[in-house]
Formats: sequence, structure tokens, C-alpha cells
Amino acid sequence: MGFVKSDQHDFSGDDQRKSSRDMPGLLRTLSTGNVAERRWAARDLAQYPQAITELLAQLRLEQDRTVREALFVALTQSGCPEAVEGLISCLRSEEANVRNDAIEAMKLMPDAVASVMHSLLHDPDPDIRIFAVNILESLRHPMVESWLLDVIEHEEHVNVCATAVDLLTEVGSSAAELPLQALRRKFPDEPFMHFAIEVALTRIQGG
Amino acid sequence: MNAGSKRILVVDDAATVRMYHRQILQQAGFLVDEAVNGIEALEKALNSPYDLYLVDINMPLLNGYEFLVDLRSRDIKQAPAIMISTEAEQHDRARAFESGANFYMLKPIKPADLLKYSSLLLGVGG
Repeated sequence: MGFVKSDQHDFSGDDQRKSSRDMPGLLRTLSTGNVAERRWAARDLAQYPQAITELLAQLRLEQDRTVREALFVALTQSGCPEAVEGLISCLRSEEANVRNDAIEAMKLMPDAVASVMHSLLHDPDPDIRIFAVNILESLRHPMVESWLLDVIEHEEHVNVCATAVDLLTEVGSSAAELPLQALRRKFPDEPFMHFAIEVALTRIQGG
Repeated sequence: MNAGSKRILVVDDAATVRMYHRQILQQAGFLVDEAVNGIEALEKALNSPYDLYLVDINMPLLNGYEFLVDLRSRDIKQAPAIMISTEAEQHDRARAFESGANFYMLKPIKPADLLKYSSLLLGVGG
């Protein structure tokens, strides 16, 4: 999981639980505590589904990456529709870190994400569609290849298709062969697409 | 100065993109190495600095912006960097240059363009 880096989490020393651990106390700590306290509060708030709104609000303000990671973990553990919607809003952030962390978080929520994948893959913003394909990279869900094939059959944006082809190189089966060959004809003047399709077909046909 | 003496690090989490850029650059005589994210790129650069960096923006663990900011803060031989992205927004370009990029290219990249701008930044005939 991309956003959990063990060397950044030191929960010893001053990193102690000193304030009230009920939800109001945790919410206070989340907004006013030091880095270690905010991190602990985020972790503990994962058990309160009704705290999703505050977790998402803190995510928009939080500058410390380790706290942000804890917030993402809490949202992932919640798995509720509000958390998923909040993570989708993070995909639209101008901050690359926030976008990447949201992608990593959503990879861990296969069932919750599956229910919104169709809409993500048809979002008007091609960047969101690319991020949706990125989420599929390690999403443990039986529909992954079908979603990717749908992308390369219907998507017109070259970079969305290219991202899908890159992933099909890893997860594609023989079912992807004809759609990949058809994709070549969709982008006759894109050398990268032809290269990527060749790599994918070679891998799929080679087993 | 010739291409053969120049070392280029391609940093991208997409394997196909790394292979594509490597193939184009190697065929032109450059020495090419790869990294899958900013952390691996930084480790490689600190171990043996390169002459040019081709850096994707959106990567897990350490993104392209963070990699360049960290690289530029180090007391090592500095080299030009091309930021490569699918994102055409003005704020993405601005952030790339603020982070230390020397040039910005949108994916997918045509081989001729990659060679042209890499050669220009390296000061070799392209």
C-alpha cells in the first residue's frame, strides 16, 4: 500500500494518548493537536462512521503527510458511501499527493469502489478516468478485466486508453486480444499506443 | 560530446512507458536506467548522478514533484529534468517548473520529440 510508510510512523515517546478518546474529544484533538496527536485521533476516529465529514474536512486542511495517511486509512476502514465520495473528491485535488493517496486508499476498498467504478470511468474529466484505471491496478475484484476492456473499446482519450493497456499487460487474458488489435486502428498515428499494444499482446499470447 | 556518454534516468510507475522511453533513447545511443517511483529514483541519483531525468508526475510513494524538489536540494551534480505528464493544466506546468523541471512534455510522447528535447537539454546533436 503506497501511502503507509513505516519509517514515518513513530508512535513512541511523546506520541501518547493524553486526551479524551470519545468522539468529541478525538475530533477536538484532530483539529487542534500536534502531529502525533492528530495522527492518533485520525486512527481512533476510524471506529466512528459518523465522523466521516470531519475526517474529510481535516483531509482538505492537513499539511502533514503522516496524518494525511492516517486519515486515508480511517476512511478506507470505514468503507461507507460517504467515505468513497470523499475519496473521489480527493481525486480532483490539485495536490498530487492527495490524488495519489486517494488512489492507493481506493485500491483497498474493492466492493465500495466497484459500485462507483462505472461512473468514474465515464467521468467528463480524462484525468479522473485515468485515476480510475490506476485504482484498478491492484483492486481485487473479478470485474477488473471487463472494466479495462470496456475502456479500450469505448474510450476516445489516448492517455486513458494507454493507461488501460499498460494494466492489461499485467492482468489481461486472451479475451483482450481482439479489443487490443482493434485499438490499434483507433489510434493509427500514436507510436506509443502501438508499442504498448504490442507489449500487451506479446505478454498475453506468451502466457 | 556524444549521446553514448550521456546517462538518462527514466522515472515512471508505468512499465510500458519506461520500456518505450528506454527503447527510443537507447536506439539513439544514450545510456538509460529506470526507476519506478521517486524514492528509487532518488536512491539511484544519489548513488550516481545522471545527465538527464525524465520524470512522471503521478507516482506512488514519492511523486515527480517531490523527487525533483529533493534532488535539487542535494549537494550533487545537478542535471536537467523533463517532467512528463498526462495533465495539461497550467497549474501542473507551473508546479513542475517550481519543483525544478527544465521542460514539460505531455504524454503520449512522439519519439522524435523525445529525442529532440533530450538532445537539446543535454547539449548533444539530436
